[in-house]
Amino acid sequence: MKSVSTQRLVLGFASLLAMVLAYALVSNAGLFRPEVVPPAREIAVAFTELVVGTRPPPVTESDVHKGHHGHSSDHVGTLLQQGVTLQGSLAITGARVLIGLAAGVPLGVLLGVLMGWSRRADDYLHPIYVLLRSVPPLALITYVMLWLGHGEAHRLIPIVYAVAATLVIPAYHGVRDVAGTYVVAARSLGARPWLLIRKVVLPAAGPAILDGLRYAVAIAWMTAVGAEMLMSENGMGNLIVGGGLWASRTQTKADPAVVMVGIVALAAAGWAMDALARAATVRLTRWVR
Amino acid sequence: MPPKKNNFFLGPGLRTRAARAFLGVGALAVLYGIAAEIGRGRLPDRIWLGTHYVENVQLLPPYRSLLEETAFLLESGILLDSVAVSAGRVLLGFLLGGALGILLGIATGRAARAEYLADPWVTFFRFTPALALLPLFVLWFGYGEGSKVLLIAASVAVVTLLGAHQGVRSVPRVYLEAASALGASPGLAFRKIVLPAASPQIFASLRIGLGLAWVTIVVAELIDARMPSLGYLLTLAGAYPRVPTMVVGIATIGALVLAFDLLALAVHARATRWMRRTA
Repeated sequence: MKSVSTQRLVLGFASLLAMVLAYALVSNAGLFRPEVVPPAREIAVAFTELVVGTRPPPVTESDVHKGHHGHSSDHVGTLLQQGVTLQGSLAITGARVLIGLAAGVPLGVLLGVLMGWSRRADDYLHPIYVLLRSVPPLALITYVMLWLGHGEAHRLIPIVYAVAATLVIPAYHGVRDVAGTYVVAARSLGARPWLLIRKVVLPAAGPAILDGLRYAVAIAWMTAVGAEMLMSENGMGNLIVGGGLWASRTQTKADPAVVMVGIVALAAAGWAMDALARAATVRLTRWVR
Repeated sequence: MPPKKNNFFLGPGLRTRAARAFLGVGALAVLYGIAAEIGRGRLPDRIWLGTHYVENVQLLPPYRSLLEETAFLLESGILLDSVAVSAGRVLLGFLLGGALGILLGIATGRAARAEYLADPWVTFFRFTPALALLPLFVLWFGYGEGSKVLLIAASVAVVTLLGAHQGVRSVPRVYLEAASALGASPGLAFRKIVLPAASPQIFASLRIGLGLAWVTIVVAELIDARMPSLGYLLTLAGAYPRVPTMVVGIATIGALVLAFDLLALAVHARATRWMRRTA
């Protein structure tokens, strides 16, 4: 056991290190323009500036030239002027993700279990669900905004919607694929529907639903960042595209160093949230093994 | 093993199911029509958007204006061209990303070493919203087709990789040991045990990936935004804002996702016929 986990650590670490080294070499070799593939140093600088929230005064003349390229200082500079920090943006996006999950998970599981359990409900609801699910959450933003005004709702509703729509599928398939013998056995032993759902169907569908939850976490982050890229003046999406509004945002030149810092931060936050989901999965499905 | 399908669990026939589907969707459609009629003249048509007012907004466009809009978009050729272009991008990105994700997922699911090597990167990329890559992809692959298709491929690959990995890993070890004890070669065990057992999860992830691909195209088509493309059509409709165009655009994407999804479901049902289900 021990050697396996050591091997895992060593190989994982080696692969990370190799990639980072390769990146540092390639980015410093002068093969690409620094505006396209920023040197590792520049990424580190952007990171510290975004965490500290201020830009240290240039120490020497050469620093000014080496550390910052024209538009690079623009992107970070604009963000700093608006008082944006990395941890602040992450907290805002994280809060949106959590709210989205809190509302979307029960909704999706409920709908999925209902459709998986009742043939009748499935016949009526599945076509409607598929029609609604087919609508990309981000396409809804403008429409929701027309109804509810420019506020928090039109950023949260797409997230809730995306999470719920994602969880319906695993919950549905989880309930549907419960082995027939279990259901027949429980029924022939006189289990009432409620007992059947609680003791047979939900535990059997549990692993599928929990797998789905991990998808949902990833999709919630994705929708939150997408919504913020399109329509928000705070959060990680805003940090990555660096101000501007509406469609014009994608036209603004983003600094790849900031984008990379943002991606690493998002990955770290998402990983932490997934570690929690995974721990919950292990605890809740202990009986499987 | 589950018992053979029996009458006890066999649901109503196909005709009843179709009738119910029709009834459910029809009821919703009628309700919308009624809501639109009630809303006409009552809902505000001048809306404050935080920075400015927009005029002549139909919050719930009645069917008549939706039909007119559809007729206009069809006659001008905008809709069909957009569908062809966007569906082409989605399909290409989906196939590319799906193939890559499934291959990697099977590799990491099968070989512990591959998993250890890939693990930090999978962990990393799983939570990277593909959309966040958009500015980078524009820088790296330019404003053309490449960055759009690759963005879709990236978002699909992450999901299918996870699905394939978990599918392969959830194959009970007993099956594999039994197969090898009976003398099955690794290749045979892979084809006859691992792939079938993993296929439900792979297909589930492909379905999710397909939905994601269409989410991504809406934003990806803001790169070098130009007609014909469904993403830009939606953006334009949102910028004015013109609700009938929005609704037609969203409905078109919905219809396409639906068609793709039905296809995926049919393939799934056929590929997993060996699994017997309760219902």
